Amino acid sequence: MYSSFFVAWYQLSHNKVKLAVAAAGVVVAVMLMLVQLGIRQGALDNSVAVARRVTADLVVVSPRTKTIFASAQFPRRLLYRLGSSADVAEISEMYMAQGRFRNPWNKLEFPVSIYGINPHSPMMNLPGIESFANELELMDRVLFDGLSRKNYGPVLQLLKDQGTLDVEVNLRKIKLIDSIDVGISINSDGNLFMSPANFQRMFPDRKSGSVDLGLIRLRDGANPEEVRDRLSGYVGKEAKVVTRQQLVNAEIVFIRENAPIDFIFGMGAAVGFFIGFVVVYQILYTEVTNHMPQYATLKAMGFSDGYLLRMVVSQAMILSLLGYFPGFILALGLYRVATNAIQMQFSMTVERAVTVFLLTMVMCGLSAMIAIRKVKQADPADVF
Amino acid sequence: MMNETFSMTTKPSTLPVISSRHVNFWFGDGDLRKQVLFDVSMEVASGEIVLLTGPSGSGKTTLLTLIGALRRVRSGELNVLSRSLHTASMEDLVEVRRDIGFIFQQHNLLPFMTARQNVELMFQLHPEISRSEASQKTVEILTSVGLADRLDYHPARLSGGQKQRVAVARALVTTPSLILADEPTAALDSQSGRDVVTLLQELARSHNTPILMVTHDPRILDVADRIINMEDGRVHSVE
Repeated sequence: MYSSFFVAWYQLSHNKVKLAVAAAGVVVAVMLMLVQLGIRQGALDNSVAVARRVTADLVVVSPRTKTIFASAQFPRRLLYRLGSSADVAEISEMYMAQGRFRNPWNKLEFPVSIYGINPHSPMMNLPGIESFANELELMDRVLFDGLSRKNYGPVLQLLKDQGTLDVEVNLRKIKLIDSIDVGISINSDGNLFMSPANFQRMFPDRKSGSVDLGLIRLRDGANPEEVRDRLSGYVGKEAKVVTRQQLVNAEIVFIRENAPIDFIFGMGAAVGFFIGFVVVYQILYTEVTNHMPQYATLKAMGFSDGYLLRMVVSQAMILSLLGYFPGFILALGLYRVATNAIQMQFSMTVERAVTVFLLTMVMCGLSAMIAIRKVKQADPADVF
Repeated sequence: MMNETFSMTTKPSTLPVISSRHVNFWFGDGDLRKQVLFDVSMEVASGEIVLLTGPSGSGKTTLLTLIGALRRVRSGELNVLSRSLHTASMEDLVEVRRDIGFIFQQHNLLPFMTARQNVELMFQLHPEISRSEASQKTVEILTSVGLADRLDYHPARLSGGQKQRVAVARALVTTPSLILADEPTAALDSQSGRDVVTLLQELARSHNTPILMVTHDPRILDVADRIINMEDGRVHSVE
């Protein structure tokens, strides 16, 4: 009837202002944790997005390549050897580089990621590129990424209005023939897709015989690991054959080792945790301190330490529940704002929601544990 | 508990509710040892109202805390409600407290709960009593202390006398076997003080519950069956 939980609720809800402040502290903590961990995940996902788009079974890279965003090249002739294997169905080469896109409106140049890829069989998840394949074979015909940032000007509007748009990239005039929606990452603000031949025209200084990636499609039924091991012998030390999954894993390792993503956002989440911890602790501690005579009286009348401890822990749990749900909803709103603002996808996962919920419980629980020490000091004999 | 009370009323003289034999108590140890009770022997029989008086520092409140199982005697024997407090464990002490109704100088009601909730909270210690019975008893006792129209008031909205009456109701609602009171009138004006003591007396008499009350207040000495005077940690005289 008046279990420790209800007494805890009466105690917390008696002073509405205090309750609001305490809950607001938890809300901020929950929101910070969710947003920071969300951005961390978003940044990680984003930076491996290109690797995840690869649909080839095997990928040939230079042994010097640490990340495909700064790939070293290897000789194209190595790829020709691989066709001799009966398991290989198709091989294509892929080129990647950063170019400078001149915004036709403000005449400023902005960096852009340029992909040279066989449009008939890209072996990358680039939705819609095949339908432009024949046109892309023509000289200086290029596809624009419809999800690129606004830096490049109202390109999409112009493409819609007049069909094509002449722009300048790397001091060369090219013709944008249309756009496909692919998506950008923290490494690139926008993407251009073109055939390998047009890529060579765009970068005349690059050695024409060297490629960034080789993409291999295997015949049905071939085991990628087995074929990889066999093909590795064909390319020797000049290149490396990896599976699609290895490529993705290597990107994840690279980003975690080289970009301080875990540290920065982990730190942000930790700050959130700490804010919540301190606010809840302060509230619980003052509640206990202000009611020491009453707590001591309850003890004198035969209430156990356990009952009083449960009262404090219940208050902590109530605060974590009151703070979690508004914090969760605010975080969803912020995900949307962030997604729109920086055109990077942030989404809530069940795993993160549960993790942060548990963290919130731990945060409030720890605060309670420390505040509880004060309860134990309540000496019933002091009431007299 | 009712049976216990009943058996005491039939055989009042055989079993004292409180019996203290050569009790000594001191604070601190070694060089810091300060003895406050010396060889205290006294008894309270069932149904008796006993006042404990004496100048401040005479050890009467300390004696009350020992009897209330809030402190442990250092030497001697102390039996309260047929339990030996000098040998009891911590859990046993907490158990004994549940059979005792405490009334303090300060009411110490929980400020965030209403009069009704403060009183009803006591039944947490007596899970054998049903909810409906508990809330019925709560209303009854608050009515009998004259607070029928203040049931759902928080302590902040009650006067000093009313708060102390809630505290009395809280101490008595679970029909304890013994009532310990520490200067319950100290914080009250003479009329409210008198009212609270009379109320306590009536409620105790109706259940034949013994009361041990520490007081300085000469206005309430008339309610006592016996008065124990203490001085310098010793029982000085018994009237």
